[in-house]
Amino acid sequence: MSLELQLVLLLWGTLVGLDLVSVPQMMIARPIVAGPIAGAMLGDLGAGLQLGVLFELFQYDVLPMGATRYPEYGPATVAAVSAAHGAAGALGLGLGALVGLVTAMLGGLSMYIVRRATARAVHAVTDRLEAGDARLLVRLHVSAIARDALRAAAVTAAGLGFAHLVRLFLAGTLPLRGVTLLGIAAVAAALAAATAGTLRVVGRGASLAWFVAGVLGGTVLVWLR
Amino acid sequence: MTRARRPPLGRSLLRLFTVQGSWNYERLQGIGVGVAEEPLLRDLRAGENGAAYRAAVARGAHFFNAHPYLCGLAVGAAARAEHEGATPEQVERLRSALCGPLGSLGDRLVWAGWLPVTSALALIGVALGLGLDAVIGFLVVYNVGHVGLRWWALWAGWTHGVRVAVALHQPLLQRAAAWSGPAMALAVGMALPLSAGYLGGAFTGWAREVLAVATAAGCALLWWGRGRLTGLRYGLALLAVAALVGWLWR
Repeated sequence: MSLELQLVLLLWGTLVGLDLVSVPQMMIARPIVAGPIAGAMLGDLGAGLQLGVLFELFQYDVLPMGATRYPEYGPATVAAVSAAHGAAGALGLGLGALVGLVTAMLGGLSMYIVRRATARAVHAVTDRLEAGDARLLVRLHVSAIARDALRAAAVTAAGLGFAHLVRLFLAGTLPLRGVTLLGIAAVAAALAAATAGTLRVVGRGASLAWFVAGVLGGTVLVWLR
Repeated sequence: MTRARRPPLGRSLLRLFTVQGSWNYERLQGIGVGVAEEPLLRDLRAGENGAAYRAAVARGAHFFNAHPYLCGLAVGAAARAEHEGATPEQVERLRSALCGPLGSLGDRLVWAGWLPVTSALALIGVALGLGLDAVIGFLVVYNVGHVGLRWWALWAGWTHGVRVAVALHQPLLQRAAAWSGPAMALAVGMALPLSAGYLGGAFTGWAREVLAVATAAGCALLWWGRGRLTGLRYGLALLAVAALVGWLWR
């Protein structure tokens, strides 16, 4: 993969990471968007869609409420598509999942670190904020956004680096059964995460019946196809 | 009492798109809310050497936590209250009182409703072969709701001021909140088997049986181990086991 393509992916991953919390939350951070766009950039839309669907399912395990810590699947999906690029089927899914899940964990940790750094920056100027210094307020806000952009870039860069290593050292060495099992593990974990995450939100109330109806309807559609 | 002739709601709305940019563990969304409110407070700069303006800016940046798309309601309401001469205590009480309802309503309406519904429709679209069109459709449809909600919140906050609770009882909002749960359950429920079929296409024979068993085991483990086991951890553990078995079973 050329350096230019890597840089384009880095830029996309940074925008995706920035979108998750900071600006503008238009949901390009959702894997179902981040993945296919990354795939289109690489000329491999199929891998992008596949990894986009896979990580969108993992995303259903996460409700980004309040101060909870959660994995960041946007830049992770970009890195995963980079790892899966050119590796069809189960191999692409397995390698992509490995890279994506590790990057998502790193992304979650990095958000915690940045939020603490911003809290320190706010704490340091509390007196001036209490005096109503509007310029300082805006400067503090903009610098926090810049900090988050740097964080997103760092996470994407780390993910792309890990993807490169995985492609280099793991892709060609796995036996066929290993490839299949890795792919199965990726898809099974994603489906389980999505089902359990959705059921947690749905609960035991009336929505459960709607969920069952949806599963039945979807199953019929799969069968008809 | 100072009335803004033409409130710069557009500028405030643009800033609201960055409301969580300075999210932190000390004031949560406070700084972002203060930044978004500041353009609406500029009329207060006249008189008393801008003391009213500076005091209002300082209050605007205090601790705040709600759903980001509905922060505009608090921004508009607090700014209007400042213009109408509400006391600092009234403004602080208004902001505190809005945190819980705006957080809970937004979470139900967006995080557990509109977002999973539209993303599930995108998954269904991709699984049915719509490809990139499904993704673009998701972005457009989701953001019509997203931008509309942000604009409505700011407008309603500015219109109602301290009586902003009226806006939260809008019948349309209540109906949307009531329907978001069932709609989400139906859409995601439908997306799950279709996604399984889409991703499972890469496997045949014994691999499909192993996939079904690993998925069922994962559902059970994640359900009973909730709070301790997450999808990410289960995924990493399963990948490690798969890699190990793959190496041994050559």
